[in-house]
Amino acid sequence: MGNKQTTFTDEQLEAYQDCTFFTRKEVLRLHGRYRELAPHLVPLDFTNNPDIKVPLTLIVTMPELKENPFRDRIVETFSEDGHGNLSFNDFVDMFSALCETSPRELKTIYAFKIYDFNRDNFICKEDLRKTLNKLTKGELTPEEVTLVCDKAVEEADLDGDSKLSFSDFENMISKAPDFLSNFHIRI
Amino acid sequence: MSTVSEPLVGSSRSLSAAKRHKSIRKNSRRIYSAYQDHQQGSSDDEDKEDERVDSNDPEEMFQNIQYQKEIIANIRTRPWPMRRKLKVLKQAREIVLKYEGRLTRTRGYQTAGADLLKKLSRVLYNIVVLFIPWEVRIKKIESHFGSGVASYFIFLRWLFGINIVLTIMTGAFIVLPELLAGAPFGTTRSKTIPKEHLASAQDLDTIWSLGGYLQYSVLFYGYYGRVRKIGSAGYRLPLAYFLVGMAVFAYSFIILLRKMAKNSRLSLASASDENFTFCWRVFCAWDYLIGNPEAAESKGAAIVNNIREAIVEEQEKKKDTSLAVLISLRILANILVLLSLAGSIYIIYFVVDRSQKLEQEKPELTLWEKNEVSVVVSLITMIAPSAFELVAQLEMYHPRTSLRFQLARVLVLYLGNLYSLIIALLDKVNSMSSAVPVNPGNWSDSSSFLATISQPEADSLSTLVSDISTSEHRNSAIATIAMVLDVTNSGRSSSGTISNQTALFEKNTRSQQEQCWETYVGQEMLKLSIIDMIFTVASILLIDFIRGLVVRYLSDCCCWDLESKFPEYGEFKIAENVLHLIYNQGMIWMGAFFSPCLPAFNVLKLIGLMYLRSWAVLTCNVPHQQVFRASRSNNFYLAMLLFMLFLCMLPTIFAIVRYRPSQHCGPFSGQEKIYDIISETVASDFPLWFSKVMSYVTSPVVVLPALLLLFMLIYYLQAIARSLKFTNNQLRMQLQTERTDDKKKVFQMAAARLQAPEAAGDKKPDQQESDVTSQEASIHTPSPRRNGSVTNFQSPVRRGNSIRTIAQSASRTDLSRGSVAGSVRSPAVTVLPKHRLEHIPNRPPPFLGGPSSTCRSKSYHHMAYNPPARYSDNIHSDPLYRKTIRPIHPVEAAGIITAQSYGGRRGHTTRYVIVNEHEPRKKLLRSATRIPRHYLMEESAEILELYPRNIKRYTPRAAHYHPHPHRPHPSQQHLSEEEEEEVEEGKSRRRMSLGKAHRPRSLSDLHQPPHFYIGDRVESHMSVAKDSHAARGKYGAQEEDEEEDGEGEMDWGDLESRSGFQANVRAADPLLVRTRRHIHSPGRHYQSPARTRHVESYVKPKTRPKLETPLTESDSASLASSSDQQNSSTDQYIQVIHNKERYLKSDAKQGKLAKKKSKTSFDVNVTESNDLVSSNV
Repeated sequence: MGNKQTTFTDEQLEAYQDCTFFTRKEVLRLHGRYRELAPHLVPLDFTNNPDIKVPLTLIVTMPELKENPFRDRIVETFSEDGHGNLSFNDFVDMFSALCETSPRELKTIYAFKIYDFNRDNFICKEDLRKTLNKLTKGELTPEEVTLVCDKAVEEADLDGDSKLSFSDFENMISKAPDFLSNFHIRI
Repeated sequence: MSTVSEPLVGSSRSLSAAKRHKSIRKNSRRIYSAYQDHQQGSSDDEDKEDERVDSNDPEEMFQNIQYQKEIIANIRTRPWPMRRKLKVLKQAREIVLKYEGRLTRTRGYQTAGADLLKKLSRVLYNIVVLFIPWEVRIKKIESHFGSGVASYFIFLRWLFGINIVLTIMTGAFIVLPELLAGAPFGTTRSKTIPKEHLASAQDLDTIWSLGGYLQYSVLFYGYYGRVRKIGSAGYRLPLAYFLVGMAVFAYSFIILLRKMAKNSRLSLASASDENFTFCWRVFCAWDYLIGNPEAAESKGAAIVNNIREAIVEEQEKKKDTSLAVLISLRILANILVLLSLAGSIYIIYFVVDRSQKLEQEKPELTLWEKNEVSVVVSLITMIAPSAFELVAQLEMYHPRTSLRFQLARVLVLYLGNLYSLIIALLDKVNSMSSAVPVNPGNWSDSSSFLATISQPEADSLSTLVSDISTSEHRNSAIATIAMVLDVTNSGRSSSGTISNQTALFEKNTRSQQEQCWETYVGQEMLKLSIIDMIFTVASILLIDFIRGLVVRYLSDCCCWDLESKFPEYGEFKIAENVLHLIYNQGMIWMGAFFSPCLPAFNVLKLIGLMYLRSWAVLTCNVPHQQVFRASRSNNFYLAMLLFMLFLCMLPTIFAIVRYRPSQHCGPFSGQEKIYDIISETVASDFPLWFSKVMSYVTSPVVVLPALLLLFMLIYYLQAIARSLKFTNNQLRMQLQTERTDDKKKVFQMAAARLQAPEAAGDKKPDQQESDVTSQEASIHTPSPRRNGSVTNFQSPVRRGNSIRTIAQSASRTDLSRGSVAGSVRSPAVTVLPKHRLEHIPNRPPPFLGGPSSTCRSKSYHHMAYNPPARYSDNIHSDPLYRKTIRPIHPVEAAGIITAQSYGGRRGHTTRYVIVNEHEPRKKLLRSATRIPRHYLMEESAEILELYPRNIKRYTPRAAHYHPHPHRPHPSQQHLSEEEEEEVEEGKSRRRMSLGKAHRPRSLSDLHQPPHFYIGDRVESHMSVAKDSHAARGKYGAQEEDEEEDGEGEMDWGDLESRSGFQANVRAADPLLVRTRRHIHSPGRHYQSPARTRHVESYVKPKTRPKLETPLTESDSASLASSSDQQNSSTDQYIQVIHNKERYLKSDAKQGKLAKKKSKTSFDVNVTESNDLVSSNV
């Protein structure tokens, strides 16, 4: 990197490595990917922490996300403003939380946020319905969707309030065999 | 949780310990419940708070720094936005930097060193990551096909890693030393190609069948010299050979088991039988890695199928397909599979046998004949799985089941192949090794050969000598062996071992080449591996690539759609491919001992496979429809690999143990058994004592007990595992019931809140239920308090201790304990509803949910409850007051008052309730009273300064907790008398009190004071006051004295100014102060409050009536107290009476201070209530 223009100072890189699960190289690569999304918006030089946000519409065009039925929710969840405009920090944060090495607890928290469409800290049946429709692209009939929602809530709802609190969700997820392997994005 | 344990290591100073405790809680809270926004806020505050810590106490500073470091270390696992993380990180770093210098130098150095180490490790990690092979390639595949397909490649890479290590082991310790220091090629007989083969040694087909030069190379066992020490350094090659051979297995086992343990740790809970079919299918179905539209589409379709399947299964699948047909089909299928398995095994055995015969009969073998064994084996391994798949379609199993069947069958097939091969080989070896001893001619031959060979003289001499000695040895042994062999191998002229040398010479020379059965086995394994590789490549090219090409380019000119109908694109069958890898690795393990270069070859093979496969997958494969669950299957693969390793190790071990090593080749030639090398080395090269020790250790005396010990250990560990599982289950059950209870209560509370008057009635059953539900509920509830409440609890406890010492009486404590047990539950119940009402603080606990939280809560409870309980028994009002007081300190006096009032209500609620009920006269309904209270609250707010509600709330809560336990139990237990009289009333009162306590909490604080202001409504408030007064009440005169306005005012002032206990107590409320004073004073008067109480309680029933007469207010109080006498309730009643008196006094004072008013109002209320009670009675 010696002759190239520096993108980050060493402290920044160190800080990012402290705050994420990425290596130095990965952080730099992330920056590259971020910049790719909006070359005219994102400067090469991040040493002074420019306040730049890339809108959701651009973020979801990333190959890692573009096939994901929950891409909008993912981006919204990780954006600080809640509308999907990601600063580079949010961007790094997103992929850090979703990377392979991040712990189950962290992933569970974010998974819950992603599936909590209306952000009321509960996954209610409406959230489940939305999840299902995104997942199956509307291929299930409404009756089937209702049935699945009811069953899912019935299974995981420990306290009988017919919606899933975080603890319900966590309990359920902690037993899911392939949550960890499925809930991550490599970049 | 690791973060939690860290801070525990450190100094034991109470200060720092407390702080650490705090930080622990913070951390855990952050990690587990930080996702709630308000908590984030609070943790923010904590951070600032930590910053503020600026003391000069090095220990504290050190703690602070430790804490900051913890933050730095764990910040990445916090669910904060990056901006915040960066900020916190920066702050933490600054603090660490700032304070670290102030610490002692050694600590500074330590930390500097740690920093450096951390940086280094990070750099190292950054570098290491660069060298992880195929990372990008795998990621690319992952993003195209998802984690399922990628798991194959990750598995392949992992195997590659293992093989690298194996290669290094064999290369460094066997191959290299032999090449560098061993006798060069052609110097010894075992390293020389026989003359008659020399001509054809370089022919392609000879090389191809691993004969010729390859046979006499480091590739195989036979090449290695038997010289004990080679080179100038005296490297013990034979020993190394043996040890490395064993180490290969040991290493494989260890690495496999470790990986499996790690995997199972990752999927910790998957072992549990809980099944969230639908949830998993909804929340965990999507593979976030998928980035390829095709893969996404097929994944989506698979998910839909999956969900539909689950629905169908859920809707009671009534399989109408005739069972008879199905069963017969399945039986047929299984028969077919078994037949094909048996057939494949027979074919392999037959081929091996035939090749053996051919070798003996024909001098020249064709290429086919030389390779037919491996070709046949490879063909079977290729074709049979497809056949199984066809057969599986007959069975009409659920796809997942059929996949399992398929895997099991393929595994059995592979194992059968390998085993029949190795058994056939060993069979051959058997005949070969039995033929060896028949040739004494060879012996002399070889020894003479050795002698003539140019070698360092000393060496040759020594070898000669040893040879001769061994040969002599041999002869005797040979004779005996020959006898045995006679029976079976009579044709081989074993009888004339010594005499028939010349006759057998021809045969001997021929058999010499084959004598080296180890080389032969190694050759076969290597050949098999090579052929297998060729077939894999061919199948990839043919089945995948060519097919893909055909489908892609010929689909236009074909009458049906090639892409979606018949040939389609090749599917990437993960499970079968993984099985093939396992099979391949099995071959390596099986042959590694006989062919040290096999791992090295496998490394090359795996590299090639990696590139070819990844290319094929990306260009011409579509992902398998039935993706085997990745993470679960990971351990499944590993388990199969482990199984394979074990089974592959067996033949090798068997051969090592059972067969005599070849006489003329290999490092162990001339030994009776291969493992003799160990005992030989021990005997000759170790000191005498060592061999003695070894002989002891290997004797049954040691081995048997050791085995026994192992068994016992296994049994013990298993028992532990079982009990852990059991507790696990129990905890889960507990969690579940807790949650349901919790929720129920919340709902009830919510309902109660909405319908205040009606709720009162409802709550009562709830509470009772809660009592029944018991500890679980209580446990739960405590957890919510943690933050604010904990401090409160602690403070009361301390005070309680002091108080106890002062006032405890044995009988009291006993009673209190008895009641405590019961009471704890009840308080918990009450607490729950409160929490719910409070919403905010309560929420977090559910997240903590885990057993840990419950544990904490329990401990807290006990801590907090017990003391208060005792107190309450001793001084019912005291604990409450204290608690309330504490929080109050910061709060204004008014707040304190309110808090006190809360405590009073709760503690004495029942009694107060009574009062309240009486009050209803004025208000008619409790609800009505409540409403007025609310109004009052507002008024009070106006009159009194508004106090931070939070604080008030906290205090009341704490108070509630403590009092509740006491109330219900004492009331229930002791109420009997009163209850009998006023059972109905009492219940209703309780309800009322509970309801009040719950509802008002936030408001109630305010309400009560206002109540005080308003004489009529004050009654309810009075009740609170009464609680406080309860202790006092007994001694009306004292109380009255204390109640004096001047004192009350003093207390107020004290409250604000003083922070101490006394100050607190006094400050708590004027009322409280009074009560305290009363309490104290009575205590003083009677020496101990407990005594006084007892006395009171005992006396009260008697005295109360008396008191009543003297005191108008006291009359009612005495009545009430009579029923409660045993309990503090009596005290309370008495207090009430006092209050009345006070009230009278305070009436005059009311004009001065609202508080005074409240007191007075209390008194009034009390009087009223008392009157009412009395009337009731």
